[in-house]
Amino acid sequence: MATSVYLSNPNVTINSVDLRDQCTSATLNYVYEQLETTAFGDTARKYGASSVTSLQNNSVEIELYQSYAGSETEATIYGLVGIQTNIVLAPATGAASATNPIYTLTGAYLESHTPINASLGELSTITLTFTGGVLTKAVA
Amino acid sequence: MANYLVTSTRLAGFKPGDVVTSTDLDGVNIEALIEGGHISTQTAKKSAKTKDTNEKE
Repeated sequence: MATSVYLSNPNVTINSVDLRDQCTSATLNYVYEQLETTAFGDTARKYGASSVTSLQNNSVEIELYQSYAGSETEATIYGLVGIQTNIVLAPATGAASATNPIYTLTGAYLESHTPINASLGELSTITLTFTGGVLTKAVA
Repeated sequence: MANYLVTSTRLAGFKPGDVVTSTDLDGVNIEALIEGGHISTQTAKKSAKTKDTNEKE
């Protein structure tokens, strides 16, 4: 039977700071760059091989409600621009398991941040894109 | 190894008042945590020993 995933309380930490209650969206892209290995004699394009390892090119996009209160969104994020940090994402809080894999992106880089993103009558939100870093998955 | 006092409720795995070391924060940007008010370089001081001044000699 097919299953669907309904995430209501995933774990989201940025630089070891739990921002779950400010987060409305998180997308983790796990990417290995595509290297072409096609050679003479091949009849179709080939990419990668068991002996060819390419670079990871991961990214995370996170949407947060903005808050200027102490230890909240702005205070946590502002100092991370232009440096590397760690991002941890999991479907739920609690220990890592097969049904709750914890993904850690180590050394992710935050290039930009929008401290002010305000529209009349709307809650202010920010969208952060972290790029690079090594992704690991823990299931135990 | 530096010690830091946890000052916010958001630091994953710790609660306010805990003392963490730079080893505990391996891979984490400590400057950003200080700037964000999550930890402080001021570690909790031990309470001074008190002497009972009414103590009988």
